[in-house]
Amino acid sequence: MHEFSIVESLIEQVQQEVTRSGHDGRVVRLDISVGRLSGVNVDSIRFAFELLAPDTLLADADLQIAEPKAVCRCKACEAKTKIDELVVVCPVCGSGEITLEGGQDLLLDSIELKD
Amino acid sequence: MKIIAAKKILRANEELAGKNRAQFNEKGVLVVNLVGSPGCGKTTFLEALVARLDGRAAPAVIEGDLASTIDAQRIEKLGVPVVQINTEGACHLDATMVAAACDALDLNRVDLLVIENVGNLVCTAGFDLGEHLRIVILSTSEGDDKVAKYPTIFQKSDALLVTKTDLVPYGDFSIDRVTADMKRLAPGARLFQLSARTGEGVQPVADWLLGKCRRREGRLGG
Repeated sequence: MHEFSIVESLIEQVQQEVTRSGHDGRVVRLDISVGRLSGVNVDSIRFAFELLAPDTLLADADLQIAEPKAVCRCKACEAKTKIDELVVVCPVCGSGEITLEGGQDLLLDSIELKD
Repeated sequence: MKIIAAKKILRANEELAGKNRAQFNEKGVLVVNLVGSPGCGKTTFLEALVARLDGRAAPAVIEGDLASTIDAQRIEKLGVPVVQINTEGACHLDATMVAAACDALDLNRVDLLVIENVGNLVCTAGFDLGEHLRIVILSTSEGDDKVAKYPTIFQKSDALLVTKTDLVPYGDFSIDRVTADMKRLAPGARLFQLSARTGEGVQPVADWLLGKCRRREGRLGG
């Protein structure tokens, strides 16, 4: 359950961003991205958020999670395939000559504050 | 009012890991993050490794476990400086814990610091501790399908140690399958086969690490 420490870190980071913006107020919406290849479980993130957000400025926040896919580029057949999970061969031709791009990151995208 | 942040969520950990790494570089310490399942033989490998450093590098160990000082006691018996971290439930070490543990070590007297992570093939993959090398252990009794089933940790490792090779005759472990999966996932990673129990294959790992120690600092500890 490393999702718990990820959410703890997220809440801390949101607090810092809000303080830096010079605005007070509670967060109404929070947008984050959890890449499909990040090894992080989105359901566990939601669960941890439900437990950790109360008593913070995120108590009423609507958590929106985007799950960007990765792209597998194959040198052999030149296919570019969007993938949901880690692959070791090209899903099109089966070649091992592939590079994976994107889908790895955990990002805090944006924070919406109550006006 | 919308704030566009567009920042990595584990930035705090990454920043601290960067600070750890800078400190290790300054002190000339080669740092290894040793990961693998519970019971794969991380501590047993460390015991075998220490015996083969032959005084050519001064080791130290940070032990990460949910509870107990069982591992730290084993390392202490070898006369190696050791700090035990008890995560009290957390499934991985993070850069903060490692920074705190380093305060309890005299890094000026250390050439090779091995951080034995919590036994876990999943969560340990996401947290940079400030190490130079991540080494993953897979024991033959765990099965030859684990590289394919837990790809993230293997993909992010600099070396794979296949341990408990003395048990191969009693099971159906295929080193070829592991080698092929590693080649696809982490073509640049080194692969070693060893049995810490018999000692076979441990010396090449020790020599590889000693070579890295020397390259980092040009300094021989002892």
